[in-house]
Amino acid sequence: MKRANASGSDPRILPDTVSIACEGLTYSYPGRAEPALSGVSFRVRTGEYVGIVGPNGGGKSTLLRLLNGLLRAESGKVMVSGHDPSESPFQVRRRVGMLFQNPENGLVAPFVEDDVAFGLENLGAPREGMRDRVREAIRAVGLVGYGRREPHTLSGGEKQRVALAGLLALEPEILLLDEPTSMLDAAGRREVLYRMQGLRGEKTILHVTHHLEELLDADRIMVINGGKLAADIPPGRLISNPDLLAKNNLVLPPLLRLAAELGLDAAASRTPEDVAQAIRERVRRRAEAR
Amino acid sequence: MGATRSFGQFYPVSSPLHALDPRAKILATALLLLGLFFVGSAAGLGLVAAAVAVLVAVSRVPPLTFLRLLRPVVFIVALTVLFQVLFSREGETLFAWGILEIHDGGVRLGLFLGLRILLLVSVAALLTATTAPLALADGLEDLLSPLKKVRFPSHEVAMMMTIALRFIPTLHEESQKITKAQAARGADFSEGGPLSRIRATIPILIPLTVGAFRRADELAEAMESRGYRGGEGRTRYREPRFRRRDAVFLIATVLVLAGAALL
Amino acid sequence: MRLELRDIRHVYSPGTPFEVKALRGVSLTVEPDEVLGILGGTGSGKSTLVQHMNLLLEPADGTVLVDGVDAARLKKSELRRRVGLVFQFPEAALFAPTVWEDVAFAPRRLGLEESEIGDRVRESLALVDAEDLKDRSPFGLSGGEQRRAAIAGVLAMRPEVLVLDEPTSGLDPASRQKLLRLIQTLRDTGTSVVLVSHDTDEMAEVADRICILEKGEIRAIGPPADVFYANPDFAPATVSTVAALGDDGHGIGRPVRFGETLRALAGLIEG
Repeated sequence: MKRANASGSDPRILPDTVSIACEGLTYSYPGRAEPALSGVSFRVRTGEYVGIVGPNGGGKSTLLRLLNGLLRAESGKVMVSGHDPSESPFQVRRRVGMLFQNPENGLVAPFVEDDVAFGLENLGAPREGMRDRVREAIRAVGLVGYGRREPHTLSGGEKQRVALAGLLALEPEILLLDEPTSMLDAAGRREVLYRMQGLRGEKTILHVTHHLEELLDADRIMVINGGKLAADIPPGRLISNPDLLAKNNLVLPPLLRLAAELGLDAAASRTPEDVAQAIRERVRRRAEAR
Repeated sequence: MGATRSFGQFYPVSSPLHALDPRAKILATALLLLGLFFVGSAAGLGLVAAAVAVLVAVSRVPPLTFLRLLRPVVFIVALTVLFQVLFSREGETLFAWGILEIHDGGVRLGLFLGLRILLLVSVAALLTATTAPLALADGLEDLLSPLKKVRFPSHEVAMMMTIALRFIPTLHEESQKITKAQAARGADFSEGGPLSRIRATIPILIPLTVGAFRRADELAEAMESRGYRGGEGRTRYREPRFRRRDAVFLIATVLVLAGAALL
Repeated sequence: MRLELRDIRHVYSPGTPFEVKALRGVSLTVEPDEVLGILGGTGSGKSTLVQHMNLLLEPADGTVLVDGVDAARLKKSELRRRVGLVFQFPEAALFAPTVWEDVAFAPRRLGLEESEIGDRVRESLALVDAEDLKDRSPFGLSGGEQRRAAIAGVLAMRPEVLVLDEPTSGLDPASRQKLLRLIQTLRDTGTSVVLVSHDTDEMAEVADRICILEKGEIRAIGPPADVFYANPDFAPATVSTVAALGDDGHGIGRPVRFGETLRALAGLIEG
């Protein structure tokens, strides 16, 4: 089955298997009257790249934690990679890697390579294979040579890449990313996003973020607000819908906003050059129309 | 910003001593620390001292750096020696002036006790200088694991040590940052008597502690997400192998101690 | 107040293998009633620089002058009252049982009367739009709320210059907007703001002047249009778009802020 991405070109062929399925998912934090998530239902196919956006406190992080078993659903059904996270969290966690917002507090060991090996140790992986898997994961995030570095000497972007390497070492099918770049500076964000982009197609990815420009290549974006699934649409349709954006407290970054307010195709505006080119097109067409 | 020298004692070079299995080194250290109290003669102590000197040389830790590790106890050693020299009445009188008397027995005992303290600290310093903290934690966990049978949480203890090692530099930086932030709001940590100085640390200790708990929460989430469920079924990335040279080292230690005790 | 930094040099761990020359002779002035934006990558020295503004760090060389007076000769408490500094992730320093108590910390240290302290606290909380948080425990607040409480704590000193180090880091878009508006309000009511950030887009919206730091030296300083159009690698999206038009953008000038850029480009399209 073919699916088009945001700008309508280059259809990707996705397998027909479902990696994640939720039905009527509901959860309330203890002591709170309002449920953090109520009646959320959706499916994610293997290899899909799904963005998750919405206002803070709206349920995005809660959703991710329900998917890897950190939280247990009150009601509703959850299936992740063939398992129910509340029944067999360990099985789910072998296949699902979660990257957190704070790069500091996800690193557990005093040296980079020991941290990357942490997940493998937990799974009881045989020691012989570990060295290679650790080395490969470190290479995949561009940190060759960092094995003996200590976490507190690393930049935010480097720490987050170490955390990512730790996940990749387990070769998970699914990646859950909880605002992985929000505490990083511009350089750190670029580093981490670049490595994440390299994983598209290989893994099923759920990416929670406030930066809409990070989701231009997503297959679809789920908007979670007030604990409910407010929208589940391709990026192009979300970005060009100012009402939907406003209703869910979503803000376009300046470049996309510029394109949108000039009446250009915002979803195709990845760089200032794209926007400039689109402007040139418009000017030329207007001149020709005269 | 400014680099912090972490793991202040560990000296990261490559040497035969560094390469030994940490468990062997921990055991040897324990034996030496205990055994030193069974050495009664100056000759015996001298033998141990010679052995320690050889080990320091083999460890490739620069002698000056090593001596710096002993600095904290210089005061105690000096005090011990002085105490014996001034107050012991053993043996012949070497010097007398009023009530002050110095006897050769006192000098000998003072030097003996002082040297023993130095050797005790040297042995411990050798261990920490030649063994990476993480390896130490692993080694301890292994040695303590037989205690698991009596429900001693040796894995958890080792895990706590690893995490502590990981976060000590981070917490140190955090405390500096908090101190500066409070100073920017007018906090003064240098004025007033002892009571007000203690009170002045509250705006640092509270955020540091609360922050540490929050870190612990986030870390626990991350660890759980990565499949951590205690020590059950866990394998180890770093598995030091107990080799022949480790056994040789241990045997040599025992022999030196035995010799020293008998001398 | 005019805050001048003259030829500031700073070295971390001098004489050791870890020596780092963080600032190599930086001179700049913070004028009254302005928002000065300081841009630079990691390692550029921007955090080090701003910590010299209230002498939390002392320069290895160079002077800091407050209205012409050597800051080193002022009482530290006086200097830090007049130049307020908010660190990155300032909520890490919240400590009191209630927000009210925490914001009152700095005024208390200044030895003010209780009634004056009360006024200051109320005023600061109002500025950051956090009056309803005054009796809450700081530890139970959301990230954005904590951030505002921490900033209020420094505003309570009524500083003449407020230095903010990455104030929007980690915040969601709504909270960011609020903070940017606060910066403009402060400038409009007589408090100069020094804004350190890696987010050029945000800076472009609020800064009156821009300073780019690179490897401990000033690479450029001046009005936003001058600095951004001359340094494309540090330019915000608006400037990059206009610059990408090249000759086709001839005639629309050098807009920097979003509103003016939008109008200029719309005008270009409509002809």
